[in-house]
Amino acid sequence: MEGVSTANGPVIVWLHGDSLSPTDAALSAHPQAPALFVFDRPFLSSHAIAFTRLAFMYGGVRDVAAARPGLTELRVGSVSAELAAFATEHGAAELHVTENPTPEFGSILSGVRERCPGLRVVIYPAERLSSYSGQVNKFFGFWNKVQSEVLGGGELFRDQDAPRPQPESERRPRDHRSDRNRRR
Amino acid sequence: MSAPTDLPTRIPTDLTDEQLPEVLGRSLAGLYSGEARLPARPGGRNAALKALGAFTGKDYGARNHLLSPVSRLSMYLRHGMISPLEVAQVVRAGSRRSDREEFLRQLAWREFFWLVLRQRGAAVLSNLEEPKYRAQWSPDLPADVREARTGLPCADAWVTHLTEDGYMHNHERMWFAAYLIHWRKVDWRAGYAFFREHLLDGDLASNALSWQWVASTFSGKPYMMNQENIAKYSAGKWCDGCTAQCPFKGSYEQLQEKLFGWKA
Repeated sequence: MEGVSTANGPVIVWLHGDSLSPTDAALSAHPQAPALFVFDRPFLSSHAIAFTRLAFMYGGVRDVAAARPGLTELRVGSVSAELAAFATEHGAAELHVTENPTPEFGSILSGVRERCPGLRVVIYPAERLSSYSGQVNKFFGFWNKVQSEVLGGGELFRDQDAPRPQPESERRPRDHRSDRNRRR
Repeated sequence: MSAPTDLPTRIPTDLTDEQLPEVLGRSLAGLYSGEARLPARPGGRNAALKALGAFTGKDYGARNHLLSPVSRLSMYLRHGMISPLEVAQVVRAGSRRSDREEFLRQLAWREFFWLVLRQRGAAVLSNLEEPKYRAQWSPDLPADVREARTGLPCADAWVTHLTEDGYMHNHERMWFAAYLIHWRKVDWRAGYAFFREHLLDGDLASNALSWQWVASTFSGKPYMMNQENIAKYSAGKWCDGCTAQCPFKGSYEQLQEKLFGWKA
């Protein structure tokens, strides 16, 4: 079925806290593939998080599950352990996910890789307001670099159509293994 | 680390709102704070699109005033329920230039923090720079602050908004952060954790770096306000008739000397 496998074999999708929409890049590239969201038991055991925040996120998972044709599962546990188990259950050759800037993102993927050494991890770029990816230090330096892009050309923008998200087919997913040095 | 086998690991994805507090509460027992109840605003793509559809960006340029319209889209952006490009597209299509540009500049702050986090990683949870005054901060959130019983109607209202609604207006966030760090002399990380616990839009990048901005560990000087500023931007809602011993009264010069030891 379309979106379930690549040339390498079956795909699963990791749905995380920054990607709770069926329009998420990794999810929409594989609408039929099994997807998993995990409430992080070790994190929640050691950090106070109000129930209302978790219920809000649940609403995101619920809408994703209802909107896509593929299986969407919700679990509670260690994220990397549950992802590894999910990959094994579905005979996955690849784990697809959209980029997340948190330190936990890299450590969770490392944990999955330790448990499933043969699993290829493919990371999709997060949808962003600007294309700038250089060093940032102060907001105003950043703003000077991006404002014409963000504002859409200032005065020139007034009569133009708004920029549109890049079509899925033009997005270039990245193989995490080829880009290890970029993230700490 | 694997979950102990006697704990449930799978949660149905089709719970109704009526079922949600009880079933999710049971599945996540011991893993959350507060009461198992629905959030003040529902999460999800459908709710996000509804909120986006109701927002035009009109009068956003006056956003610092508590009575002016703001988007309240941050909680949906935080979880990817809508994307920054979708929001930008709506604002670009339907608002005046001044409102549009102010809103897009605020969206850019969010992206700036995202890039700083990607660049600095877990370091955003430590002081990125030395504070710009001789700061002596205690590590813990005082109980009277947590329980909204400081005796200051404004500060108690800010905390109530946070814990009841999971949302605070941005100006309230800045006032509260300045109050906690500079007046109560509490480490910004205690405030960061309090926000992380309750804010529906709480994320590592915007939350930690905004607290550092107020604390002056990620900015050139500490952010502060005075009573006149609070009264002006809240239409006097807490100040008119207030009988509390107001710690915010005074000129900026007087408060800077009192709080930071800066001579005018």
